[in-house]
Amino acid sequence: MATSLLAKLALPGYGKDLSKHYAVIGNFDTPEDLLRAIRTARAAGYSKMEAYSPFPIHGVDEALGEPRSPLGRVVLVCGLLGLAAAVLLQWWTGAVDYKLSIAGKPLFAIEPSVPIMFELSVLFGAFGAVLGMFALNKLPTYYHSFFNYSRSAGASNDRFLLAVEATDARFDAGEVTTFLESCGSRHTELVEA
Amino acid sequence: MAHHEHHASDNYFLSPEIWTKVRNTLVFLALASWVALGFGFAQNRQQFHFSYLVGFAYFASLSLGALFYVMVQHLTGSAWSVTVRRLMENIMRTVPVALLLVIPVFLGTHQLYEWTHGAAAQHPLLAKKIGYLNEQWFVIRGLIAIGLWSLLALRLYSLSRQQDGNGSLVYTKAAEKWSAPGMLVLFLSASMAAFDWIMSLDPSWWSTMFGVYFLAGGALSFMAALIAICLALRSAGYLTNSIREEHYHDLGKWLFALTVFWAYIAFSQYMLIWYGNLPEETVWFQRRLAGSWSAWRFVLIFGHFFVPFFTLMPRSSKRNLKLLGFFAGWMLLMHYCDLYWQVMPVLHGHGFTPNWMDPVAWVAVGSAYALVFWSGLKQKPLVPVGDPRLDQCLAFHNA
Repeated sequence: MATSLLAKLALPGYGKDLSKHYAVIGNFDTPEDLLRAIRTARAAGYSKMEAYSPFPIHGVDEALGEPRSPLGRVVLVCGLLGLAAAVLLQWWTGAVDYKLSIAGKPLFAIEPSVPIMFELSVLFGAFGAVLGMFALNKLPTYYHSFFNYSRSAGASNDRFLLAVEATDARFDAGEVTTFLESCGSRHTELVEA
Repeated sequence: MAHHEHHASDNYFLSPEIWTKVRNTLVFLALASWVALGFGFAQNRQQFHFSYLVGFAYFASLSLGALFYVMVQHLTGSAWSVTVRRLMENIMRTVPVALLLVIPVFLGTHQLYEWTHGAAAQHPLLAKKIGYLNEQWFVIRGLIAIGLWSLLALRLYSLSRQQDGNGSLVYTKAAEKWSAPGMLVLFLSASMAAFDWIMSLDPSWWSTMFGVYFLAGGALSFMAALIAICLALRSAGYLTNSIREEHYHDLGKWLFALTVFWAYIAFSQYMLIWYGNLPEETVWFQRRLAGSWSAWRFVLIFGHFFVPFFTLMPRSSKRNLKLLGFFAGWMLLMHYCDLYWQVMPVLHGHGFTPNWMDPVAWVAVGSAYALVFWSGLKQKPLVPVGDPRLDQCLAFHNA
């Protein structure tokens, strides 16, 4: 009973196939070692990879072949939406819904609306940036296979990890393990999904 | 490894031939334009003083932009900007030229400023301002402002030059100590100068944010000039490894940000006056909308803000050196249009009336500033070679 209810909820990670693997993770001493391992792996033909480090490393996105984040465009669209919303708000409240002449000024004019247009552009843009960042990072994520790695905590301290993922077309657990060790990995492990 | 080859060394010294060639061109420009201005002075003195004031305010504000930015780099402890900072400092070093070049403004107070006229004493509003707006105090205030800027500029320049020798951190710390009060002094004194030199052209009008408006334009034109100078040196084969795409990207971000800052200040000033709708305030804009001047606002609204704002917004355009170079030149022109529009309607109230002295005065003042700037590049390193953050800057990479 309880089992089927849990199955119906289909929480992430529940009922996963234990025979499946997430990746082979290698463990490196320095950011330079990690970058070198990524470049060697790319040259060797691996493409589905993820790096884990305690701080951002310049050049790691390029090395992994990550495309530019589309977040900037998300923010631009949200900002323009905010701009349009502000014009509508100012015009509809001032010139349509509740006409009130103040000091003989026009019911709607661009000049006094600009601060609202500016503020709502910034506000919507900021919402777009924060929520878009969450969405692009797939947050919140309640379960991630990375934590099945026995030394995953090192990525928050002083270790630089490289996961060659099982979805990679060239993935072969034995080969990848040998490969990462040849790159200088200190602790290589096949990690469950 | 691809990532560490940026330590490839650049030649930090200009070749003497190039230096002399540019110096000779500048000397020629200076002589020709000052002689021409001499004739202009004899021919139409009032036009001379107005044309000259625009040129003087242009380069004075640009050099203050440099002073502002050098202090910002010290206060923020910036590493990204180290390789461009010596060029900033060389522009900043031109600040004291104003002590000499302000003289034609002092000599032209009667042609320029209504408050010097006898009738001002009878004017109910101006009569009350004469205690402040009079020729003696105008000169004294001008000298105090330029003196303070010169003190800061020369001090910061000499600290940076001394560091070239031994790379001691002492100079970095000292520059930080000078920059914090320096920033306060700069904004207060530049506001005072902007009120005197430009705002008092309409003596019954006032705007408390006029000083920031003046500095915003100056900072923008300075950033444009810095980018143009870096690109010119690059095209001559200098600093190609020291000022890379990553650094231009950051300079481009500043250029972009400053178009917004200028627009924010310029518009805020306009909007508050529009909303207040008081005759003694709206008169400033009325004067600048009369006749063909009314078309000028579109140059500023679109040319000074919307076009550069949206073009410089994407990352790719800030990293496109041709586009960035074009907008650097464009913003230098726009700053001129902005100051021209602030000053000239006082002389030509009926509409835009171009005069040959407008560009010639700009060249005359500009060539004097450029000569002082150029003298700083003679046999001296183009980057602060002793700065402790230099290596960090050479390896700089945008996130």
